[in-house]
Amino acid sequence: MHELGIANSILEAVETELRPHPGARAVKIGVTVGAMSGVDRDSLAFCFEAITKGTPLELLVLDLQEAPADELVLSYLELEESTP
Amino acid sequence: MSTTTTTVPLERKVLNENDRLAAELRAEFAKNGIRVLNLISSPGSGKTALLERTLGAFDPAKRVAVLTGDIQTDADAQRLARYGFPVRQITTAGACHLDARMVAKALEGWDLSQLDLLFIENVGNLVCPTSYDLGEVAKIVLLSVPEGEEKPLKYPGIFFKSKLMVLTKIDLLPYVPFRLEDAISNARSIQPGIEILQVSSTSGEGLGKWMEWVQRA
Repeated sequence: MHELGIANSILEAVETELRPHPGARAVKIGVTVGAMSGVDRDSLAFCFEAITKGTPLELLVLDLQEAPADELVLSYLELEESTP
Repeated sequence: MSTTTTTVPLERKVLNENDRLAAELRAEFAKNGIRVLNLISSPGSGKTALLERTLGAFDPAKRVAVLTGDIQTDADAQRLARYGFPVRQITTAGACHLDARMVAKALEGWDLSQLDLLFIENVGNLVCPTSYDLGEVAKIVLLSVPEGEEKPLKYPGIFFKSKLMVLTKIDLLPYVPFRLEDAISNARSIQPGIEILQVSSTSGEGLGKWMEWVQRA
């Protein structure tokens, strides 16, 4: 069950990305997962939900996409920012 | 007041931090001329037994060391320490794999300039260790005959990333329904270039070729 560790790494990356955007809300994080990466997508989705529940990132959507080979890559982060 | 949505492209590895540490380790190993082999298999496939035979075959002057990972106990380190080479246990306390940080920590206090070869025996698990680079020159996957020839198809990731597959416990071939040719073709269907050796740590068969591989890896 290293998907828990992977989910944590994704959350840490989101938090890092949010730092230069104070007040922004993270809406969606895209992650590409290759069939040879050793990461199970269902299990990752489950872990991600479990660790975000009850936190400010509870509504963050994890967008898992298929990828070639052993790729395990953060592809994008969608942010929502209030503009006056 | 309105909201705007921005998409920030990231394009970086999820395990960036582990990969960064592993790259540092790899540079450190290269500087000291150490070749590092990362052994991965299911629990009970014979990683420790193969390492025991390997250490037992080395000249006592050989500059070799072992890091061995387990969730609990230092049983493997005790088995391996009998051969007189430096051995350290990494107890992961629950984690199903070793990561670069654990390896870096376990190496603290060792004079790396005194080593030429380092074996890392990963936690027995065919899935999780696949994702974590430890700075090794090669991952080696062990598949024991009683496990069945379909393992490469069921757990493709590790067979995709390993330079070598070692079929272990081949002395059991007459007693279990294991189709050797299928195991080989299954592994090659995942990675055509994977090297394959067959060994028995019990009978000693194939150990010569394994030792040659280790020396030139």
